[in-house]
Amino acid sequence: MNNYYRSWPITLLLTLISLPLLIMFIFQIIDNFTNPAPGGIWPSSFTLEHWRFLWETPKTGESYIWTVTFNTFIFASTTSIMVTSLSMTSGYVLSRLDIPGRKIFLAGLIMLHAFPTISLIVAIFLTLQIMGLYNTLLGVILVKSALELPFGVWIMKGFYDTVPWEIEMAGIQDGASRFTVWRKLILPQVQPGIAALLIFSFLSGWSEFVLPLVLAPSSDVQVLSTYLSALILDDNKFDFNLFKSVGTFYAIPVIIIYIVFQKKLMNIYGGGTKG
Amino acid sequence: MNRINWFGFIFISPVLIMVLLFFLTPVVMTAFFSFTNMSTSTGIKGGEYLINQETIKEIKKYNIQKDTIEKLENAGYSINEEGLKIISEKYKESLSNEIKSLYFGDKFTNRKDLERALKKLKKNKIKKTRDRKEIAEIFKESIINERFVSKSIFEENLIKLEINQNDREVIIKESYTGWSWTNNNFKLIYNLPSSYKFAFYTLIYVSFTLTFNVVFGLFLAISTFYLPSKTASTFRTIWFLPRILPPVLYVLMWKWFTWDTGFISQMSTYFGASPKNWMMDSPIHAWTVIVLINGFVGASFGMILFSSAIKAIPSSMLYASEVDGANRWQQIWNIIIPQLRWPIMFTTAYQTLSLLTSFEYILLATNGGPGRSTEVWALAAYHTALQNYAGNLQYGLGATYALVLVIIGIIASLFYLKFFNFKDLVTKPRIEG
Repeated sequence: MNNYYRSWPITLLLTLISLPLLIMFIFQIIDNFTNPAPGGIWPSSFTLEHWRFLWETPKTGESYIWTVTFNTFIFASTTSIMVTSLSMTSGYVLSRLDIPGRKIFLAGLIMLHAFPTISLIVAIFLTLQIMGLYNTLLGVILVKSALELPFGVWIMKGFYDTVPWEIEMAGIQDGASRFTVWRKLILPQVQPGIAALLIFSFLSGWSEFVLPLVLAPSSDVQVLSTYLSALILDDNKFDFNLFKSVGTFYAIPVIIIYIVFQKKLMNIYGGGTKG
Repeated sequence: MNRINWFGFIFISPVLIMVLLFFLTPVVMTAFFSFTNMSTSTGIKGGEYLINQETIKEIKKYNIQKDTIEKLENAGYSINEEGLKIISEKYKESLSNEIKSLYFGDKFTNRKDLERALKKLKKNKIKKTRDRKEIAEIFKESIINERFVSKSIFEENLIKLEINQNDREVIIKESYTGWSWTNNNFKLIYNLPSSYKFAFYTLIYVSFTLTFNVVFGLFLAISTFYLPSKTASTFRTIWFLPRILPPVLYVLMWKWFTWDTGFISQMSTYFGASPKNWMMDSPIHAWTVIVLINGFVGASFGMILFSSAIKAIPSSMLYASEVDGANRWQQIWNIIIPQLRWPIMFTTAYQTLSLLTSFEYILLATNGGPGRSTEVWALAAYHTALQNYAGNLQYGLGATYALVLVIIGIIASLFYLKFFNFKDLVTKPRIEG
């Protein structure tokens, strides 16, 4: 827009409003490497002791940070791959093929997409217990993937919808099977969608808290979110700087992914997203 | 079915199975569980029949025959290993062996029969009636503390004890350890004053957070629109970060900010106030913090949607208004806001419904406290069914709370179906092979 008005009053106002967030972010980083003066919060000396959780062997009954990180990674990546690959196939079907019951599937997809999944947690908990998948990583992965699927299929269908019909028709004219057309001609066209969905569902799995908390509470299948929340709730060692360091450690992949894939993510957050 | 259908079917079936198992089944199951009295003590996999001291106390409260309890205690006599072992220790091994060879595995309904049988022993004659009585007592069995897997087996045993039908029914009902069907959960929720409180808290939570989200989202979108693009994107990043950060970490930062060793307390000491927990000090404090925690995340939702809607406004319209001498207020009020009507409606509707069922940030921040003053409906469902300090988790009651949310969810989804132009979505595919 024009520069006919000065922008500094708005900038000032925005800075003031953003101040709580800014203070939180800045201290989140500073406190990882410093100790405050006794009784205060201002940093006074440099230290690395808040990161000792990375190399110290945990006491009995506590989980080892690297095991927990590994669990989180398995959880997030498996969920992400499952959601993306399944959405890739069924998104195509819903976008392009005239299968029986297509209308019902589409209506169901829109409904499930808007459905607040968290209200199902009680029933899912009981269902997993009956199925014998309670307290396993597999159980949480399956549930998380299933709950993400309507969103993933929705996004992928949107990407397939933008691919011109002509590409497909040309392929069919040349005698290729529908599968070949999908694999060789259509998939390259929706690559941005696949990448965005992979990243989005990985982040969503990495940050997930309630599902692992409820469905897999035992310490050998702990993920970083439940590990950190258990640490905060533990009254015996109250140490904000330790919590924050664990938190930073937990958030590093998120920040890296955000910086690298910012544009792709904005697309998916801007489109029909969950609030 | 032709080839193309098979291809489509194979391609879509994994999703159908997953969604059916972990999405639609839970919806049905929520309704199913809400009509049961399942809890930690009843278990979830059906139960057994067991009479113990507690059961007897309960049974005595009913109008039953005087000798019923006695009958339960004297369920007959059976010759088994345990009894024989006691005999060989207490009396003679040869006696034990003779009884074993003659009667092992036999059952006697009353003591007289067993005593008569004991009279028939050849090698180790028991002369005294008192001794016979004592030995018979060793083989006495009781139905008490014995587990029965099914109702029919249990009832058969009660019939053998000559307990009449009325008493049988009472005993069966009281000794069942599993869950049963009931509609008490609905009555309970209807009658409990606390459920009205939860509903009221949910109303507060949704209305305040929503207002914050929309107003702030709108403010951020409009103000960053008028800023140079670099400054604007910095602010957008700052406000987007809470959405992208893991909730556990984000709430941790708020705890540091508001708790008694944290930032606000520290700042207020410079003004002579004593440090206190600004999050948990009083219900008002807790609510303020909760609305802020949710609002700082939720505002970015509106910000993104509104920003892209503002960008879509033809710049010629804005230029024209400036030429006509409109100031910024008039420009915002008369051009931008009317263009945003649709996104604002969407955000409001969508966030209302997702806020109604969300509890993650409240769970992490205040966990419903102080007291239960921030316990919204969804959190009450969670606490009732999945985690509480009493330890007895009321799955059935919790599912009933959740059922209300599921119904809201279904309404939300129907709304969504209407909102999207469904006809556009179901345009027929153009290639049919």
